[in-house]
Amino acid sequence: MAEWAPLLAALTAPEPIGMDAVSMLWMFPLVAAIAMVYKATKMRVLFLRRFLIESLVLFATVSGFMIMAILVLNLLSWLVTG
Amino acid sequence: MEKKPRNRTASEQGLWLVIVGLAAWIVPGAGHWLIRERKRAVILFAVITGLFVTGLYIGSVGVVDWVGGRIWFYAQILCSPAVGILGNITQNGQYPAYGRPCDIGQLYTGIAGLLNLLCILSAVYMAYCGRGEMIGREDEDHG
Repeated sequence: MAEWAPLLAALTAPEPIGMDAVSMLWMFPLVAAIAMVYKATKMRVLFLRRFLIESLVLFATVSGFMIMAILVLNLLSWLVTG
Repeated sequence: MEKKPRNRTASEQGLWLVIVGLAAWIVPGAGHWLIRERKRAVILFAVITGLFVTGLYIGSVGVVDWVGGRIWFYAQILCSPAVGILGNITQNGQYPAYGRPCDIGQLYTGIAGLLNLLCILSAVYMAYCGRGEMIGREDEDHG
């Protein structure tokens, strides 16, 4: 039981995450999880290799779209305030 | 035309769907495991549990808060009824959760719950379609 204590203790205090742009990187694991669960429920027959490729494609598509949205919003913000 | 298992009555089929749905809620992926979609079950369990635990790691167990964050709690408890026990433990506020880590933690755990809702619906629908069922004795003999 004692070896589990540090692991459980890690769940009792928040991780230091700032309000900077780097914190946006936390969206990628979330997008990866959403892509994997979506593909796991949608594929009629689950072949592991095909599942990984399709999940990767969906992950790249969603990530790419979000990065484009970030760039467009930043550009708009720069045009309005700059 | 959907294939339905021939050997079950309507009430047994209804009960089976309820069992699959409940199993999928209690343990993410267990519904798919019951209908013999083992690979799918393992992937769903690993991803959803991993996402939920990551959320707890980022924001602390304090992100499960049915007093201060009731709307988030409704999404989180879809992950498993065990989240309710966690909510009881954290309701006194002894575990701090604040700022950006709290936001990200709530987002991770809430989305893990909502993804499990998708899995529950998927498992029940697959069970309804007769996925994982032996169709008749002949198939069982040759299967």
